[in-house]
Amino acid sequence: MTVLATPSAVNRGLERRVRRKGTPAETGSCTLPRVSGLRLVGIKKSYGDNPVVKGVDLDVAPGEFLVMVGPSGCGKTTLLRVIAGLEQVDAGQVLMDGQDLTPLPPRDRDVGMVFQSYALYPHMSVKQNLAFGLELRQVPPAEIDARVAEAAKMLELSHLLDRKPKALSGGQRQRVAMGRVIVRRPRLFLFDEPLSNLDTALRVQMRGELARLHRQLGVTMIYVTHDQVEAMTLATRVAVFNKGVLQQVGPPLELYHRPANTFVATFLGSPSMNLFEARRDGSRFVGQGFALEARGEVTGEVKLGLRPQDLSVAADGPFSGEVEAVERLGFDGYAFLKTAAGPLAARFDGSVPVDVGQQVKVKPLGDVVHLFSADGAKALWHPEARR
Amino acid sequence: MTRLSVLALLMATDGLAAEPLKLWHAYRGGEEQAIEAAVKRYTDKTGVQVELLSVPYDAFSSKLTSAIPHDAGPDVFIFAHERLRQFHRLKVIAPSTGRLDRSKYIKSTVDALEVDGELYGYPLSLKTLALFLNTELVPDAPTTTDDWLKALERTTDPSKPRFGLAYAAGDFYLHAPFVFGFGAKLFDDTTGRATFDTPGMAKSLAFVKGLQDRGFLPQEVSGALVKSLFNEGRAAMVISGPWFTGEIDQAVKYRIVPLPTVTETGLPLMPFLGVEAALVSARTRQPEQAQALAEFLSLGEATALRVNPGRQIPAELAAYELTEVQQDPVISAFKDVAARAVPTPNTLEMAKVWEPMKLALRGVLQGEVAPEAAGQLAERRYRALNRDRPPDAPKLPYAIALVVALAGFAFWRWTKRGPAQAFARRYPEAARGLAWVSPAAVGIFVLIVIPFVWGISLAFFHHDAGEYSFVGLANFTDILTSKGYRVTEPLSFWFTLAVTIAWTFVNVTLHVSIGLALAILLKDPLLKLRGVYRVLLIVPWAVPNYITALMWKGMFHRQFGAINGLLSALGLEPVSWFTQFSTAFAANVITNTWLGFPFMMVVSLGALQSIPQDLYEAAEVDGASKWTQFRRITLPLLKPALLPSVILGCVWTFNMFNIIYLVSGGEPGGATDILVSEAYRWAFQRNEQYGFAAAYAVLIFFVLLGWTRLTRRLTGPEAA
Ligand SMILES: Nc1ncnc2c1ncn2[C@@H]1O[C@H](COP(=O)(O)OP(=O)(O)OP(=O)(O)O)[C@@H](O)[C@H]1O
Ligand SMILES: [Mg+2]
Repeated sequence: MTVLATPSAVNRGLERRVRRKGTPAETGSCTLPRVSGLRLVGIKKSYGDNPVVKGVDLDVAPGEFLVMVGPSGCGKTTLLRVIAGLEQVDAGQVLMDGQDLTPLPPRDRDVGMVFQSYALYPHMSVKQNLAFGLELRQVPPAEIDARVAEAAKMLELSHLLDRKPKALSGGQRQRVAMGRVIVRRPRLFLFDEPLSNLDTALRVQMRGELARLHRQLGVTMIYVTHDQVEAMTLATRVAVFNKGVLQQVGPPLELYHRPANTFVATFLGSPSMNLFEARRDGSRFVGQGFALEARGEVTGEVKLGLRPQDLSVAADGPFSGEVEAVERLGFDGYAFLKTAAGPLAARFDGSVPVDVGQQVKVKPLGDVVHLFSADGAKALWHPEARR
Repeated sequence: MTRLSVLALLMATDGLAAEPLKLWHAYRGGEEQAIEAAVKRYTDKTGVQVELLSVPYDAFSSKLTSAIPHDAGPDVFIFAHERLRQFHRLKVIAPSTGRLDRSKYIKSTVDALEVDGELYGYPLSLKTLALFLNTELVPDAPTTTDDWLKALERTTDPSKPRFGLAYAAGDFYLHAPFVFGFGAKLFDDTTGRATFDTPGMAKSLAFVKGLQDRGFLPQEVSGALVKSLFNEGRAAMVISGPWFTGEIDQAVKYRIVPLPTVTETGLPLMPFLGVEAALVSARTRQPEQAQALAEFLSLGEATALRVNPGRQIPAELAAYELTEVQQDPVISAFKDVAARAVPTPNTLEMAKVWEPMKLALRGVLQGEVAPEAAGQLAERRYRALNRDRPPDAPKLPYAIALVVALAGFAFWRWTKRGPAQAFARRYPEAARGLAWVSPAAVGIFVLIVIPFVWGISLAFFHHDAGEYSFVGLANFTDILTSKGYRVTEPLSFWFTLAVTIAWTFVNVTLHVSIGLALAILLKDPLLKLRGVYRVLLIVPWAVPNYITALMWKGMFHRQFGAINGLLSALGLEPVSWFTQFSTAFAANVITNTWLGFPFMMVVSLGALQSIPQDLYEAAEVDGASKWTQFRRITLPLLKPALLPSVILGCVWTFNMFNIIYLVSGGEPGGATDILVSEAYRWAFQRNEQYGFAAAYAVLIFFVLLGWTRLTRRLTGPEAA
């Protein structure tokens, strides 16, 4: 890893515009926030004896929308807080545009963070909430007003400026929390599950607004979520974490189609990918109660991965088992089977009757087999079309 | 009640001869043994049974004045002569005129028993002041003040340091000999009114001030200091009374002599004389026996017992012929001393002298007032404290005003009444509801409403010696126009109000800022032993505040206080805390702050913990420094929780009587008194001006009412 730190002689307190090649063009907005890249190098963080982040290296390109996903407690929030400067790292560096942020307190880092709880100042009006960060940076009042008005317009908060947070709905609060970051025009936006408190309809709406905001501002954003749809729709790239370790980072579809290990493979996609233990036997993979014709230059013991979407309940197929549950999405749906090799989920459509307790057969729809090492830590083969 | 007393009367008449005489006293130790022995002799001699009862001194006087008129009191009791006039007025005592043989007693002790030409009781023993000499330092008794000054000059040695003389010079009781010695009269012969602004008074003050200025006499002397100085040989002479003999170490050789004569006037320094007398109850059913017992106690064998084991100074002349007395240097010395003493006047006027004289005396000794001007100061204070009775006010206009006010209030309520609906319909369960609230309502009525109305009514009356007269608003106008003294004097309502407001403001500011600062420190989870500190810091709050006040009072003492000890250890000048307004005020504030900050700390701690941590993180990311976070996040969010406590704290501090009364006691000259302590003094230390004090209380009530209304308005929009 090259040393990227530059002296902190950069005048941090002043407005500084960084334009780079490849920055998405501004759309409509008359001001353009600065766009910065972020690099995490060997970040380690533990609480007491409990390691929470275990050496994360990650590059975030300028203007990128990076979504972090992972099971609860895997250290996503901790990582965001490390980036914001709210937590001290045990080891590693946070670099922004090559400048080492690690020793800087949050207020000197020029990042904006939207907290999961919003953390709006309850004693200030919406307007004061939005203006707070600018006042502290001694921005002239006229400019504060202009920027607040601009952000309020963008977030459709203009008619709420004089209200206190407790007089706002959840979605409005969420937008205020976002506006508070937007007016400041930080180099980096951090979002910690900002939509998790909202109902589905509002979540869908806010998701759209977030995407629009990213397009409009073109700034670098890091976004933590539990919601796969959010991850898939918003991200330019997704980073998957498990137990404090970065598992894989890449564009959403790449992660879906080419998971680096069984964790990523099962974590993304719903229902989860089916995994079976199998062994190479000539041109086939043989496992408990099944034998499957498959490609892939892999020998010996493997883990065989099949997405439910790639399996279909049919009159005949290599897998057979008893239907334990059915998830109907109208005409078609998913059937959950108990097979000799373990549980299996597969799609079905109206052409075959599927009922709980019924014995059915399942067949793959073409070349769809993912192969992983027997311990699941490494992907060995992905279907040709998805490579 | 009546039936009981009839019964008692019947029984009393029945067993008249057999009933024992009741004798009450407040003696302890050797004195008690003496009276017991004397009574036993009496019974042996006459066969009359006597029942002795020892009553605690504090309650003795009030017990007598309430028991005797109800025929529940003693037949004979022993009391100091200063109360004679009061007992006489309350018809509690019977005269001994005609029976008492004046020639048997020291003349001044009989004089002391005279009220309006009648004698009451029989003198037993006396108390007065004498000069105690350390015979190693002062072998010969000084007879004139010139001699005395020479002896003082000779024995004073600043290098030791050793003082020629030590006595509690700030106490008027000890200054009185000088007043009389310099020819001043305390009361005007014709009017009987106290006089202060006399040449003799000025000379006496100048003389004592001279003693202090020349270093013969230490400053701010207390009784404890006199004792230690004399015992350590650091005071050659002491002015004190017979009780002082018990405090002198065995090793010290001393003599008791009369106070010297003033060279200039030829008059001796004449101390006050207190006489203990056996008094006969006016309601005794056996007057003959009672008189006989009282007389017996004052003469012969009883006197001998009083000398030993009682160690009292007898009033009977014959006692001084006893060999036992002649061999006792202490008791024999007091015969001459007593001959010169002036009985403490038992007039009501005497009670009014102490406070003005104390003011003048302290002022002179502390160098704030010239001796010539001090008399006038005392005179003004006297006049202020002994207000002339305001003219009676016509009652009718007030009654009309009261009726109009009540009617107006009723009408106002009526106009604001709720929708016209049958009461029973609106409150279907009214009867049950009333039953539930009635105990509380009765409690509130008895404990709050009645005293409140009573207190307000009292403010319209003038009280003098048990009689109330209606004076309308005179008390209020006198207070508000500060009649009798300047607005800038400590006695003025406005001055005291200003002090009270300053007191409240300074205290509450300190309480809140210290409490808040500590709360912030204690909230920090990195602080080790947080729980321990929390408990320790709440301790001042848990200790009863008068105990804390007394502890601090001790620590502020000029000579022995820990604070001055600390200052001198640091090489700083010790501060005489209670002689200046600023330091006395500061001492009060320090004490009250010590008491007050834990409450604010606890409130702040609770409020701080209710502020979500993520607000600080958000602010930090927004670019706020710690100080900005405190100012822009912590303070505004604490405000709603803290404001009620601040308002409450203001009211508490405004009325913080204990601290003022116990720490500075209003010193210097009442300047640090706040409204409540001032009201207390008017009621209980200045001639029982209850009406005037009640008017003070009403004004305090209105000040606080205004304050709470104001704060309610300030916080109103916040709450809404
Ligand atoms: N202040 C703290 N002290 C001790 N342990 C902590 C602290 N904060 C977080 N942890 C632990 O660190 C681990 C990671 O926490 P973190 O909040 O980063 O998880 P997360 O990935 O954001 O989870 P979620 O998706 O549930 O929000 C958890 O096991 C948590 O219990
Ligand atoms: Mg989290």
